[in-house]
Amino acid sequence: MAIDTAERTATKTTAPQQPAPRWRNRESLTAWLFILPSLIGFLIFTAGPVVAAGVISLLNWNLFSPPQWAGLRNFARLGPDPTFWSALGNTAYFTLLSVPLTIVVSLALALLLNQGLRRVAVFRSLLLLPYATITVAVAFVWIWLYIPHDGLVNAVLGLIGIDGPAWLISDGWAMPALILMSVWKSFGFGMVVFLAGLQAIPQQLYEAARVDGTSPWQTFRNITLPMLSPALFFVIVTSIIGSFQVFDQALIMTNGGPGTRTTTLVMYIYRTGFENYDQGYAAAQSLVLFGFIVLITAAQFTFQRRLVHYDN
Amino acid sequence: MPAKLSRRSFLQLTGLAGLGAAVTGCSNGPPAGSATWAMWSSSAAEKQVWDDFSTYVEQQLGVESFPTLTPSSGYPTKLDLQLVSGTASLVTALNGTLIPTYAARGAHRPLDDLIAADPDFDLDDFYPTSRRLSSFNGKTYAIGFDVAPTVLYYNKTLLQKHGIALPSRTDPMPWATFRDLAKELTGPGQYGFTCAPAIDDLVSWIYCAGGNVMNDAADRSTLGDPAALAAIQFVIDLFVKDKVTPPIKNLVTESSLSNFLQGNVAFMQNGPWQVVNVRKAKFDWDVVPFPAGAAGSTPRVSGSSFAIPSGVRDGAQLQLAWKLLKTLTSTGALDIYAKAGRNNPARLSAGSAFQPPPDNLGIVQDILAGKVAGGHTFDVTTNWNQVKQLLGQDLPRTFLGQVPVAEAINGLTPRLDVLMSQHQDNVRQATARKG
Repeated sequence: MAIDTAERTATKTTAPQQPAPRWRNRESLTAWLFILPSLIGFLIFTAGPVVAAGVISLLNWNLFSPPQWAGLRNFARLGPDPTFWSALGNTAYFTLLSVPLTIVVSLALALLLNQGLRRVAVFRSLLLLPYATITVAVAFVWIWLYIPHDGLVNAVLGLIGIDGPAWLISDGWAMPALILMSVWKSFGFGMVVFLAGLQAIPQQLYEAARVDGTSPWQTFRNITLPMLSPALFFVIVTSIIGSFQVFDQALIMTNGGPGTRTTTLVMYIYRTGFENYDQGYAAAQSLVLFGFIVLITAAQFTFQRRLVHYDN
Repeated sequence: MPAKLSRRSFLQLTGLAGLGAAVTGCSNGPPAGSATWAMWSSSAAEKQVWDDFSTYVEQQLGVESFPTLTPSSGYPTKLDLQLVSGTASLVTALNGTLIPTYAARGAHRPLDDLIAADPDFDLDDFYPTSRRLSSFNGKTYAIGFDVAPTVLYYNKTLLQKHGIALPSRTDPMPWATFRDLAKELTGPGQYGFTCAPAIDDLVSWIYCAGGNVMNDAADRSTLGDPAALAAIQFVIDLFVKDKVTPPIKNLVTESSLSNFLQGNVAFMQNGPWQVVNVRKAKFDWDVVPFPAGAAGSTPRVSGSSFAIPSGVRDGAQLQLAWKLLKTLTSTGALDIYAKAGRNNPARLSAGSAFQPPPDNLGIVQDILAGKVAGGHTFDVTTNWNQVKQLLGQDLPRTFLGQVPVAEAINGLTPRLDVLMSQHQDNVRQATARKG
């Protein structure tokens, strides 16, 4: 015991001075200062509302009268609510079609622009224009394009002998019409990310492939796609999150109709909370949507370990 | 003067400017004792009317007037946020369809005590329909500034071109006659009738057939009752079977007014609030009473009012709010409104300011006074937004011929009944709060 105590005393006296905690380092402090504005914004505008939504979802609250405790009743209301399930199905339908289509179109255009075309910057800017334009303005233009008889879309289809549908008022075509518009609106973002990714691929890989005599498809599959996988992963994650939050184009172009064919989850949440003043139920729906997005994103991060290749 | 600005000085100046902007942004708005009021305004012409109102308020009350004008589409959302955050104006405009909603939520205060204590204020000078629209649960929650029945606009030039006798200025035509005329006036590129594919327009036909959206107790939907079903079927047939209406291109942007202004539509169902816009038409036109169904010509009567939020404190603030409300709904103010041609004023004494054209505009006041045809106050619930939303989902599909009327009504009736129960709960809660 005596030895032990002596050893400990010796250790105490001979041990080098403990470094200051990391957060007190000048470098760490600088880093925190840089992060702080973003962190404050995140806490106030993202984390705070998520926590608040969690609390509100347990209340009955019409904004004016004092809130009343509802427990899990708002979540129980989701089950028998046909509009909620319809909105969820519509959102899933939108996501399942719009995300792959957006990725295919943006990747194809990025590959085209990466072929060393002249005036690439001009084409790139032109193709990015829809993404840079306000959705509300674009939605109104597309309403005109989709007019059943005189609209440009059906006029073009008419030239090839196709009698186009009454897009935005048709049970079956209203959602595809929204998807088509959304793909047009958002492909520019993916295209720019893919183009940046393509330009970062080392040329010697392609030279090696040429020496090996690979076909263009083999080159794409075995070099371009794996090297582009981080960019692809990023675009998939952001596109899925964005498509789960689809709102403005549906509100403006169809107002959720005909029936509830284009009512999306975010639109239904907005109506529940701010038109029907049912804040608790709207918060419960928001948390379900949040849960879906978290689950899907987590699944994507799990898969990315196997499918996404980083340089290191 | 030094020509160069050091980085440090630049940052200091920027910081100061930012601080100044933040302080300005966080200021408390109009000074205490100002007459603040909120109203929707979606055009320069509308804004001009409210600016004139504001000047009138300043002249009458001798205090500064601060109107908060918001486009009509965003007005309810902004009003909600202001009411919740305690930053609402002393007086706020409310659409008649939302008065029960705000009253039941306790967002606005009843005015009966103020009316009773003010011998200068004559509630009898307001049209009875306006007073009904402004009341909820036996209490007056608002004072009207406009009120009007739906009327039938017709394209005089088009009817004369086809050698068709002009409809009576006072006697409403029966539905059968109206339908025959609409069919006769429909041809290539020309249509007999236009209205919005929505409950707001459909409800006039339902009232004229003797039906309603809900029963008198407002605890059950009655859209499935024979009278209401017959009315809905009649209108849907005009769209789907007779095809006397311009084809619906988009359910969101469909506008009966823009269809009528094209000049190739004979009749349009709309309110006198559109007179100011139809005056731009390049053809001759007029208005007549709404076609008469089994219950006569009793179309929807709707209007808007001013109300005082519950957050207004008793004492000097409430006194100013009441004075402001009285001024905004006074004959002098409503004369400004009516002279601009915006709509029929809610006060009988201001009626003469709403003048022709069109020639027959006087029927609006005659209908409200019960001298010609009739009208039916727009019956709404305390959750009218939800009712409207539900009907807005399912009914438009009948206008497109995608779903038969009976099927649509059968499908939405159980959900409407649930909303009626919720409405009853809201009324009970409001009554308990009042007690």
